[in-house]
Amino acid sequence: MNGKINLVLGAIAIAFLALAALFMSNVWGRTRPLMLIPLVDAKFIDPSPSRVSIAEFIRKGGDASDYDCDVCHEKNKPIKLKFDADDNIILPTEHTNIFLQHGSHKRNNNCYNCHDEMNLSMFQTRDGKPLKVTDPDVPRLCGSCHGPTYRDWEAGVHGRTSGFWDRQLGDYQRLGCPSCHNPHSPKFPSRAPAPGPHALHPVLHAPDKTETEGSN
Amino acid sequence: MLENQKCKPGGCGGGGNSGMNRRNFLRTSGVLATGIAALAAALSPLRELTDQGSWEQFFQKHYKELSKDDMDKVLARITREVEAQYQIRPHVKDYKPMDGVEFVYCLNLTRCIGCRKCVHACVAENNQSRDPEIQYIRVLKMPHGSFDMEKGDHNYAPESVPEKGFFYMPVQCQHCKNPPCVKVCPTKATWQEPDGITVVDYDWCIGCRYCEAACPYFARRFNWTTPKIPKERLNPNMSYLGNRPRKQGVMEKCHFCIQRTRAGKYPACLEVCPAGARKFGNILDPESEVSYILKNKRVFIQLKEEVGTSPRFFYYFDV
Repeated sequence: MNGKINLVLGAIAIAFLALAALFMSNVWGRTRPLMLIPLVDAKFIDPSPSRVSIAEFIRKGGDASDYDCDVCHEKNKPIKLKFDADDNIILPTEHTNIFLQHGSHKRNNNCYNCHDEMNLSMFQTRDGKPLKVTDPDVPRLCGSCHGPTYRDWEAGVHGRTSGFWDRQLGDYQRLGCPSCHNPHSPKFPSRAPAPGPHALHPVLHAPDKTETEGSN
Repeated sequence: MLENQKCKPGGCGGGGNSGMNRRNFLRTSGVLATGIAALAAALSPLRELTDQGSWEQFFQKHYKELSKDDMDKVLARITREVEAQYQIRPHVKDYKPMDGVEFVYCLNLTRCIGCRKCVHACVAENNQSRDPEIQYIRVLKMPHGSFDMEKGDHNYAPESVPEKGFFYMPVQCQHCKNPPCVKVCPTKATWQEPDGITVVDYDWCIGCRYCEAACPYFARRFNWTTPKIPKERLNPNMSYLGNRPRKQGVMEKCHFCIQRTRAGKYPACLEVCPAGARKFGNILDPESEVSYILKNKRVFIQLKEEVGTSPRFFYYFDV
């Protein structure tokens, strides 16, 4: 009887020891080191706007001599615009750095829609009030065509607002149109996305378009 | 000595020290010492659980029962702990909700380009673990003309965004008016604040993950291991219910950047959005941006409206 008990106890002890050995050697690979996730590039957490408007450029002390139209152009002597056979505008060689695609309609790609042909350092707004090319109040010009967007922008709903939502506690900044849109080709440019979530395991169930079609 | 030697082993009769002789004593203490050593060896893994908090934290009262003095002590403890761990002195505060403020978030689906900057700005602001990765925001790439969440893909990685034929829908905590996560919490470690923010007290969370299961938006994240944050990326402006460093085994989620928004600032995801697609503010203020959106724009969805959670997070369209 005693011998039997000793045998059972011995067996249990050996079983425990064996389990301990298995745990130690990590047969199941439970604590495998995770894939090292690199830190995200600092540009993806930078809140500065996507482009610098001329007004902002001048405010920060940039050299705006390139934007002095009167160096080459004379006042009250409008330059005639040239168009090709397809009615697309031909930019003069001095301005080939401009990529003009203000909307898809050809009629929109016309310098004098915004620039005053009689005085090129000024804009022509639809309400006829003068506006300098370097004026920070340029949304007034854009708004003379883009009414609903201008209305939203004034309400703080279109475009970027930063700072304080509680206007009693602090200031807020609302960016003007050219801080995000290039006036000559205003479509918001595409960009490389920041890295997505790092899966610890391979993605097994990527959404399958063909399969979900029937479930609607 | 002599008296002890007279006794036979196990047979000493009278008096207070019955049965105790030198041999018995040595034998018993030997067994005892071995037993204690074995117990200590068996419990040794517990010594590795260094970040399980102090006794002070263990006996801390519930957040809502803490007096101002108690809270000061708690904040001092957190400051001490963070400093010991990161060698950076943080500014830990307990921001209280403001009167007459209810926060609402609006996201313009027409404008979102899916660049994921909000995801990473959030991680930087709120001291989430970098490895393993914890992110509060998931950006879903959805095909045009469908609102089937099953078709959403959050692992997209093209050369550039936006892609033709898709729109992008960032999803984060919706701060529901009727939050299922709060209902299921067995320890009352998560609740809704008067300004609409659903918060988590990391000192009361026991990590049962019921809330994660209850949330229909996949908004809650669990710390499976000790979170890793590089010292140079730690944000020292911390709040008790917000971005103070978490420990292993607790839930966390978006809290509308409580340390920013309760100080009057916009949340970090809004500040970084290059497209201006994110709007945030006080819905009780008729002059606020979110009030304008809810009055004038085509606010077409509260995500998963049919489950009755009534989110404070609205998706809208331009035009």
